[in-house]
Amino acid sequence: MKKHIVQIVHYTVAVYALGIGLPVKTIASITGEAMTVSSTSSQFLSSAATVAQSVQKTITGKVSDENGQALAGVSVTLKGTNNSTSTDQNGSFSISASNDQAVLIFSYVGFLTQEVQIAGKTSLEVVLTSDSQALSEVVVVGYGTQRRSSITGAVSSVSAKTLTELPVASTDQALQGRVAGLTVTNNGSPGTSPIVAIRGISSISFASDPLYVVDGFPTAISNIDARDIESVDVLKDASSAAIYGSRATNGVVMITTKKGAARDRLQVNFDSYFGIQSPSKKFNLLNTAQYLQYERALNGADAPLPPRLEPENFNQPIYDGATQTFAQTNTDWQDAYFRNNQPLQQYNLSLNGGNEQSHFYTGAGYFDQQGIAEGLYYKRLNYRLNSEHVISKFFSFGENFYVSQSKQRFDVPAGNRTPIVNMIRMQPYLPVYNPHNLGGFMGPQNSFDASDPINPVEIANLVENINNTTRILGTAYIRLTLTPWLKFTSTYGVDHSNIAIQNYTPIHNDGGTSIVNIATIENQRQLYTTHLFTQQLSFDKSFNTHNLGATLVYESQGQRYRNETASGNQSTNLVKTLNGATNVTANSLYETNLIRSMLARVTYDYDGRYLFTASIRRDGLSVFAPGNKYENFPAVSAGWKVDRESFMENTPWISEFKVRGGYGITGINGVLLGNYPYLQPIQRNQATYPFNGTIVNGNGSFYNGLSNPDLAWEKTKQTNIGLDLGFLDNKITLVAEYFKRKTDNLILTVPTPTSFGFNGTGTLANVAAMQNQGFEFQLGYHKTSGDFTWNITGLMSIIRNKVLRLNSENASITAGGDADFGGGGPLTNTVVGQPVQSFYGYIVDGIFQNEAEIEAHARQNGAAPGDLKFRDLDGNGVINDGDRTFIGSFMPKFSYSLNFSANYKHFDLALFFQGVQGNDIFNAARIIREGMPRLFNADQSVLNAWTPQNTNTSIPRAVNGDPNQNVRPSTRWIEDGSYLRLKNIMLGYTAPEQWIKGLGWTSISQLRFYVSAQNLFTITDYTGLDPEIGSKNGTLTNGVDYGQYPSPRSFQLGIQASF
Amino acid sequence: MKTKKRIIQFLAISIGFSLYACKKDALNTNNENVVSTDQYFKTAGELQAGTNAIYATVRGINLVAREWYFLHDLRSDDVAAGGSQLEVPRAQILNGNVDPTNSVMNAVWNGLYTVIHRANTVIENGPNVSDDPAMRDRCLAEAKFLRAWAYFELVSKWGAVPMYTETVKLPSDYQPRAEVGAVYQFIVQDLQEAANILPGKSGTENGRITHAAANALLGRVLMQQGDYTGAKEALLKIPTAGADGYRLTDRYLDNFEEETEFNSESIFEIVYVDKGDNDFNWSTDDTPNAAQSTIRNQEYNPVAWRNLIPSNKLLNEFENAETGAEKTDPRFSYSFYQTGDRYNNGADILTDADQNNNSSIVNGVRKKVSFRKFMIIYKESKSRASYHPGGNNQRIIRYAEVLINLAECEAELGNLTAAVSYLNQVRARASVAMPPYPTAQFPVATKEDVIKAIIHEKSVELSNESLRNIDILRWRPKGYFSVEPITYFRPGRDELLPIPQAELDNNPQISGNQNPGY
Repeated sequence: MKKHIVQIVHYTVAVYALGIGLPVKTIASITGEAMTVSSTSSQFLSSAATVAQSVQKTITGKVSDENGQALAGVSVTLKGTNNSTSTDQNGSFSISASNDQAVLIFSYVGFLTQEVQIAGKTSLEVVLTSDSQALSEVVVVGYGTQRRSSITGAVSSVSAKTLTELPVASTDQALQGRVAGLTVTNNGSPGTSPIVAIRGISSISFASDPLYVVDGFPTAISNIDARDIESVDVLKDASSAAIYGSRATNGVVMITTKKGAARDRLQVNFDSYFGIQSPSKKFNLLNTAQYLQYERALNGADAPLPPRLEPENFNQPIYDGATQTFAQTNTDWQDAYFRNNQPLQQYNLSLNGGNEQSHFYTGAGYFDQQGIAEGLYYKRLNYRLNSEHVISKFFSFGENFYVSQSKQRFDVPAGNRTPIVNMIRMQPYLPVYNPHNLGGFMGPQNSFDASDPINPVEIANLVENINNTTRILGTAYIRLTLTPWLKFTSTYGVDHSNIAIQNYTPIHNDGGTSIVNIATIENQRQLYTTHLFTQQLSFDKSFNTHNLGATLVYESQGQRYRNETASGNQSTNLVKTLNGATNVTANSLYETNLIRSMLARVTYDYDGRYLFTASIRRDGLSVFAPGNKYENFPAVSAGWKVDRESFMENTPWISEFKVRGGYGITGINGVLLGNYPYLQPIQRNQATYPFNGTIVNGNGSFYNGLSNPDLAWEKTKQTNIGLDLGFLDNKITLVAEYFKRKTDNLILTVPTPTSFGFNGTGTLANVAAMQNQGFEFQLGYHKTSGDFTWNITGLMSIIRNKVLRLNSENASITAGGDADFGGGGPLTNTVVGQPVQSFYGYIVDGIFQNEAEIEAHARQNGAAPGDLKFRDLDGNGVINDGDRTFIGSFMPKFSYSLNFSANYKHFDLALFFQGVQGNDIFNAARIIREGMPRLFNADQSVLNAWTPQNTNTSIPRAVNGDPNQNVRPSTRWIEDGSYLRLKNIMLGYTAPEQWIKGLGWTSISQLRFYVSAQNLFTITDYTGLDPEIGSKNGTLTNGVDYGQYPSPRSFQLGIQASF
Repeated sequence: MKTKKRIIQFLAISIGFSLYACKKDALNTNNENVVSTDQYFKTAGELQAGTNAIYATVRGINLVAREWYFLHDLRSDDVAAGGSQLEVPRAQILNGNVDPTNSVMNAVWNGLYTVIHRANTVIENGPNVSDDPAMRDRCLAEAKFLRAWAYFELVSKWGAVPMYTETVKLPSDYQPRAEVGAVYQFIVQDLQEAANILPGKSGTENGRITHAAANALLGRVLMQQGDYTGAKEALLKIPTAGADGYRLTDRYLDNFEEETEFNSESIFEIVYVDKGDNDFNWSTDDTPNAAQSTIRNQEYNPVAWRNLIPSNKLLNEFENAETGAEKTDPRFSYSFYQTGDRYNNGADILTDADQNNNSSIVNGVRKKVSFRKFMIIYKESKSRASYHPGGNNQRIIRYAEVLINLAECEAELGNLTAAVSYLNQVRARASVAMPPYPTAQFPVATKEDVIKAIIHEKSVELSNESLRNIDILRWRPKGYFSVEPITYFRPGRDELLPIPQAELDNNPQISGNQNPGY
């Protein structure tokens, strides 16, 4: 019995190496052998015996990694033969060779393959060097893995090393610039999710987030520690993503966490950095003296001064007992609100190891990022335990368990008046603090100061908005190896999140715009529990040169959601809970959804030359009306490995040449629509009217909108054509993709006419059509030999978006209007024939210099010399709404990144440039800085406003009330958003072994130090704080800068040690 | 062999379990949180909840809590900009630069049509309710009144508007612009039906529509159409005695203060309550525990934003002893705060410095004047009032208006004595006690004289109460203004607002059918 187990182990190692991957050529050479000989273990043994008979010489040796750690399971192959073996737990191997000129190939997952000449030796010491690129040789494709060489879809991979280069909180942020076609736009303060899109915007009414699959569990990516991740594979095209069917239109991001490896002893890794962050840019705002000058210009020399600026008030002390007067005060509100040198730190301690029976990875991490603005932070504690166990010949068992707890303090701006808007608007003559005021701050008095910004430092410090999230994500599976070519896996997973949000506003009084007489407490708890249940049967067998794989899956995933809110008031700041509160209200909601799926996939290749994949998934989802719940999502793709053709043998400089093509149908995650989207419910007891002057909460009921039982799955058809090229032993690699993605029955929140009386609520219907098409390129050069090795990889992605149809011919979907930002007219408009949410407004043709020019121009109400001249596009002689047009798009002409990494002896260097080109930004925050509609603090450029004496300027006249509406949405606010940013630079030093040993740290096997810096420089013409602009409130305001939290510049010192 | 058996067993169990999990109806999930439209409005209680929700829309930010009074005031000659604080879309209306995307105008349009949708919901479901016929009928009548109120607001501002007489069932149920006459006819019918059913104020909760409110609004509507006989008839149905009777309050200020809500003069008011948390419902969505306050106090308050101030023209309309009147009209100081006035229950004195930005010129003197009606500064300190949304009810119809409207009806019908007598009732209010017409400045010998007196009296009695712009629309075509009251007025254009762009874009039945001049 014991012997039997040993044989199985042996066999398992071989298959493990096969499944997880070896560099292309090596795999190809041993594939046939392993597949043919290993159909039963007895055959395997007899086959090995046959080989042994022809032995002339036995080579023995030991394989270790760069740190001297023995490597078990390394594949050792005699070049040009089927003769191979693998190393044992001590890294030792023994292989027989018939020719003294023979070459041994050593390959192991995660390491560079090495060839060694035997040349008279009988004993070898081989040191393998780790290879960050190696992982990409095996690709996680959903319900299985595939060798990169046999992939027929568009799949990009990111290694653990790349993923942890940036000091960011989340894995999605870490993906920025790493995958062609995957765009990540940072969107706010620490802990806020970025906007992620694969191959552009696919929906008008809904976010375009990809589907994240963590160890087989389709779920959210939030709070996952990137240091626990082994690899990320991005399924971009329909033929690969369609395996996730209904949820795959926006692409799929497959995340595989670390599982640990069999080694002779446990390995402890410590990985940490500490850094500081600071804002990288400031505005030039008016100081007190300049503010006084601007006020006169805006209100007019004859107008009365705002009372505060009257000398008798302006020369008063800023508060009782202060020696400083308002006139003497010169507050820099940017210095007050932004903070320099804020700490950013991460600690991760992990342990992994095991043997062939059991191996595991466990790690604990802590992340802490303080915001570069007052009152913002994000902290996370997390712990992971992954393990895999071979129980017997037939059974193996594995589990992934993750728990995290995060705490984020964030701000909740009133409307679009972000803290940065208030920071711009605050009067420089006001102090930040007033110790006599309740709460300790000072704000402007709207009547006295003739202006009403809110002290941003006060709000950031007094108002607490805290999100405490605890998440548990676990999966466990049993795998049955029925035969070597047939496996059955049963997986159960649970994902539970407890999100507790507390909003607290204390009683305070800044003597002006922020006076709160009763404290408000709002508590919200969201509980999500998702159960996943997957049954999978996998077949994988080779018949001579025919390789056939098949996968059958049944899966069900159900979510329960509970939301509980409670709020109330306290008359004291001493109690911050609802205990004894007044005006207490509470609500709770319970919702569920269920997706049930069946899928099948077949892969076939002939001799690794002709590759073919077909899949179909049938999804049933509870959120659709009966009759519309099920839909099929098929995909097919094919590839041709031209380099394996005999006619290519004469062109050895081409090491890889593959063409691929695929077509598939996918959908958007129906749960995005809500759990019951087709039904129009009664808003029962959701309105209140206080008859008799008495509030009876919820004495009114109503409904907004229409039911739509016809609402059905949205189906997107996507074609992908790809080309993989490698030259000179893959020293130079190129991956090129073309895709076209079209949705004919796009789900849209149809904008019903306002006269329907639904208070602006639209109705969901499958009415629109949209198309994205584009190219992606990935070009690499890899110098892998010598002391100085380096890699350079460039990515580029070009996407064109077009709306093909909306609910009606003239339909337009406008968004972004805000009285503060351009007077309330929409900033974006979505119509047929244009890219989604294009910027919309007037075209500015300079400034009217005199009355004659105004007379000669189309009638423009309120215009006077010094005002902007708007173009009469419709030629009707009047400047009105009909003269608005499409004035830009947030979508870049192309986006790109450049990764450079190099090693020289003990030093390593990484440079990461990232950029976008040809996109526009609607700089709405500039309306706040330069628009001059009302009296607030402003940019220094307002001092250059047009006057009869100062006519050579692009800033229109300063005039109270803006009668010409110079602030209206127009080309004036559109700026080129192109930028090139040195996102990251990292210099590392790995301590030499002797050096460590010399210090007597015998337990340390590896020690690396590094310094890194982010956002060191950004080349851009954009005048805002940061050209990386996300979306404020939904998908139709992408690229509108409402005063967004900027990416900080940061510096880190890091250490990585293994024990 | 043994293992094979085990495998088969395992597979059988898994498949069985899968099939169990495959329960056919598992995908038919129910929303446990709500009821659907076909399950509700079946009882009188539910119908009343539906009716209350109409009031809630009228109360909200799109309408009486904010944008509605702005739209009325900005289209009148009662107001001037307080200063540069006046936001752009508001300034656009004040300056006659309104365009179809104007956010204030769009908000009011949306709010009014939300009222209509909710009213239609009640009116349509009413016939299915049988458990309490009396309550059902009252709900239907209230819904009809509010629908009529909304359509009058619409037709008087936008002219021919899409008319929805029932709820929308399909996304394609677009309505074209109905003839102005047809809209008026619909309004009159609704109001007449409502008036016949609604109780007097003693028979209903404070804040609900009464018989008197329906007749008062019917009077307004018919006058606007030139039907003075019908208007007079409706207005005379308003009782003046008994438990349901109305009379002028002795104290003029009772009409604008919180302690004296629902007084003997108040025919219809929108109810506001301040929970004390300084909160305002900035959302257009209803939520059960949303703030029930109005932002008017912040917008016009002399010590707050002071976005709008009284126009010089309005200020100088008041009779003043210095300019030859027998008595200075006390309503001037009841309607406006000026520097030197006491506020905060007499504890504080208003200074020039308290009042941001623009000054006014009253009888040739430059001074700072601000609106007083509905401002709660009368009982609050500056720091409290400046950012305090109020709980002070907005009076929509009060008996003084009925009297002046009756005067107008009588004057138009040639009964000048009766007309003057109504006006003098208003002037005789105890706290006003202005000498009766005729006066030296306002003779009442001819119809023309009486009309002038009516215009004057209405201006000073009901200033800043969202009536003036409607009056201008009625009086202008009759040539009652020697000087056009709206400085930017362009005939053929500025009588009406433009149809909102969002409506033009998304209602194929009216696409391109914009009001002239826009």
